[in-house]
Amino acid sequence: MNKSYITIVSGLPRSGTSMMMQILEAGGIPILTDNIRKLDEDNPKGYYEFEPVKKTKDDPSWVPEAQGKAVKIIYRLIQDLPDGYEYRVLFMQRKMDEVLASQKAMLQRSGKQGATVGDDKLAKLFERQLNEFQAWIRGKQNFSILTINYHDMIHSPQSLCQKVNSFLGEVLDMASAASIVDPTLYRNRT
Amino acid sequence: MAKVKIDSKLFDRAKKAAEAAGYSSFEEFITFIIEKELMQLEGSSEGNDDVDEQLRGLGYIE
Repeated sequence: MNKSYITIVSGLPRSGTSMMMQILEAGGIPILTDNIRKLDEDNPKGYYEFEPVKKTKDDPSWVPEAQGKAVKIIYRLIQDLPDGYEYRVLFMQRKMDEVLASQKAMLQRSGKQGATVGDDKLAKLFERQLNEFQAWIRGKQNFSILTINYHDMIHSPQSLCQKVNSFLGEVLDMASAASIVDPTLYRNRT
Repeated sequence: MAKVKIDSKLFDRAKKAAEAAGYSSFEEFITFIIEKELMQLEGSSEGNDDVDEQLRGLGYIE
């Protein structure tokens, strides 16, 4: 495993980031997670989250430890990462209406309040922020990004895992990585 | 989908630039350029609180 870069799995919440973390873990990439957020109906195989990423802007001390590992970071927090490291970002992309439906189901199950604006407005806001993120990351020399379509991964895990493997420098155990994709977890279809 | 007419030479230059920059399609490149310009013209902070509210509810930010 090349220890010189940090693998980031990112995207909108409910876009398949946990699935990508499972793929990387199965493929032999060390994962940075604290398992504080326990698995549940929304993520029956676990969330693969790491609490310190939420405080990166104030305390990036966890970042050196992430070299040679994969960590899940929502797109909004990636801009808090310090310069001086190489980051390879696997960015998950899924149909916006499926993302919003899945987020809504998760909020309802947890009894928590999300945005009070309608789905159309929220979709536009997310899309604008994603465009801003893409504009920002294209200007960063220490970041490279590979966009992975969630549906393509569900339907063609072998070829998509090969793309991921090339992007990361041929470090994955391909057979194990591709075998982890579970189409039964493809819910909230539209 | 709307269509826009642009000068042929500008189109050729932009197409080459998009390919060299690694965009997956010319449309992706044009969309990106327009979005980038609109961000500056329209300002980009409106609605950020709504997104924060959603992300906080989902447990992804504090």
